Amino acid sequence: MSHKRRVVITGMGALSALGATTRELWDGLLANRSGVRRVQRLVDSGITVTTGGEVDAISTENPERDHEIANRAIDDALGESKRDAAACGFIWSTGLDTFQMGPDGFVHRSAGRCFSNLASRFAGPRRMIAAACASGTQAIGEAFRLIQSGQVEACVAGGSSVMLTPFYLIGFAGLQAVAIDNGDDPSLACRPFDKKRKGFALADGAGAMVLETLESAQERGATVFAEVIGFGVSQDAFDLNRPCDDGAGAELCMRRALADAELMPEEIDTVNAHATATYSGDLAEAAALRKLFATRWRSVPVSGSKGAIGHAMAAAGVLEAVVAAQTCATGIVPPTVNLRHVDVGCELDHVIGEPRDVNAETVLSVSFGMGGQNAAVILKRGLNG
Amino acid sequence: MVYLIAAGQCGCITRVREQKPELWRQVRRYNKPVQLALAAADEVMRFANDPSTAAVISLAPCRPGSADLYRWGNVVTSGMASGTLGNLRMNPTQTLHAVDNLAMSAFAITHRNHAYCLGLGGAAGQAWCGLEAVCERLSAGFEEEALLMAGDQDAAEDEAPGLGVALLFSTRAQPFQPSGRIVRLVSVSRSPAIVDAVPHAANGLAALLSSIAQHRNGLLSYVVPPAHTDGFSAVTVSLEIS
Repeated sequence: MSHKRRVVITGMGALSALGATTRELWDGLLANRSGVRRVQRLVDSGITVTTGGEVDAISTENPERDHEIANRAIDDALGESKRDAAACGFIWSTGLDTFQMGPDGFVHRSAGRCFSNLASRFAGPRRMIAAACASGTQAIGEAFRLIQSGQVEACVAGGSSVMLTPFYLIGFAGLQAVAIDNGDDPSLACRPFDKKRKGFALADGAGAMVLETLESAQERGATVFAEVIGFGVSQDAFDLNRPCDDGAGAELCMRRALADAELMPEEIDTVNAHATATYSGDLAEAAALRKLFATRWRSVPVSGSKGAIGHAMAAAGVLEAVVAAQTCATGIVPPTVNLRHVDVGCELDHVIGEPRDVNAETVLSVSFGMGGQNAAVILKRGLNG
Repeated sequence: MVYLIAAGQCGCITRVREQKPELWRQVRRYNKPVQLALAAADEVMRFANDPSTAAVISLAPCRPGSADLYRWGNVVTSGMASGTLGNLRMNPTQTLHAVDNLAMSAFAITHRNHAYCLGLGGAAGQAWCGLEAVCERLSAGFEEEALLMAGDQDAAEDEAPGLGVALLFSTRAQPFQPSGRIVRLVSVSRSPAIVDAVPHAANGLAALLSSIAQHRNGLLSYVVPPAHTDGFSAVTVSLEIS
């Protein structure tokens, strides 16, 4: 039987609608603040969806925006960890193709080309994850597995997405998945689990984590933000556009992550939910969590981040894992921004209005992709916590 | 031990439409790379012990989407430049074509597969990451069977040539279909090398299958042509054929 190495997080980077650092992301969530807003270039384009999670740190007129958003998060994570890319594997998702404004018009770059450009400074393995909205979480899980099994000592894992353009907004509007602008306060566009939810707010963003063996982190004297202790994936095998009503696929990936971590559901302190604010997605997720926690579901705090930062697609799972790691480190569960009146069928122990200090040490972070791919990771408070 | 037990290829979706109406009914609304990948997978899954429990590793096409989607992209980019997007509505089917893991999702629905899945994106050389993942999953005992599939086109045009490839692996030695020989996957090894890669999800795996077919019994050290790598590493696939 092979020896499993322990895997820890020693660096993180995050660019989101709440700011260009992990600190701004965390502080914004604790303040119950949404970074989603009306985006003037979308208003100017004349489409019906005009709100989104914009990343201000990199100009939207920069034709290299997809590279720069990703590299900023990667560099922040590597810098915090004090690790060199050339000594790390790279497990990353760049989502879908980008259509960016350049000096001579729009620049179309394939997601694969973007990945190859980002991967060039890393050692192997270099794996591009393509699991839709579950990509970021699966990237963390795959990196965890590679390190745990001894194939590599350290990896940068995460994802980046530059999709806040009419090309994708018109498409998602066709699927009735995004919140249409009806003149409301744009910061309220995305309302996970709420009676008034009407879909997600599309967002740009990037999240990166440096994962490495506990042994290597200790030898280097690195700060350990959290330990990754479990990973699970599953497929719904149900429908291309919506989850099964009872959330069976979502529940399965969570149970697999628990089994991998050798934990029982009652050992989970809190959940960082996928919480897209789509009608069927939230119902299925809530159903899955109630089944997972059985009689205990009323007392497991649940929080989602998309009300604050929108849905950053390939980056979503890792941005949420960054939040989960902060929860592990502090014990504090941030509120689900914009959740005010919980919808029938979405009942859980939602954290509403203000953060809750529950001394949480073990966090389940989940993502569910369009098409039915589901991924879950479990993080535990690190040695420095 | 990891054994290659079946392989299938599909380069002509017209043949599927004419000869396999049931399969065509399942795949007709997808774009060509996805249709080709699923047709190839259909060839091999009849050799699977249990299609519902096999690990599914699917390579996204390096030219994702369809010719329709690319035409739509041109409409949108023109509209963005001229500020005339207000009246555009997208056909949801076209949105579906943009999903990066569409073949994997469609396969799972057909085979009621809830097992481990890994979608690898449309970057050059990801096929070898897929092969490494097969080794990892089966060698660790997570699953007993694993499917690796890919579909791609040479260009995002309706008539552009395309290819779908599927390889089925098992922890149990079984005669490889179609040759009847035993093909054991020994290792996938890498060394640093900067080369010019040509992104294509399926061509590299097809070339590997061709090499296996031509090889006499014994150890085959298949050196992946530089064009089929990720551009950063030389890859050698070692197989034992008997």
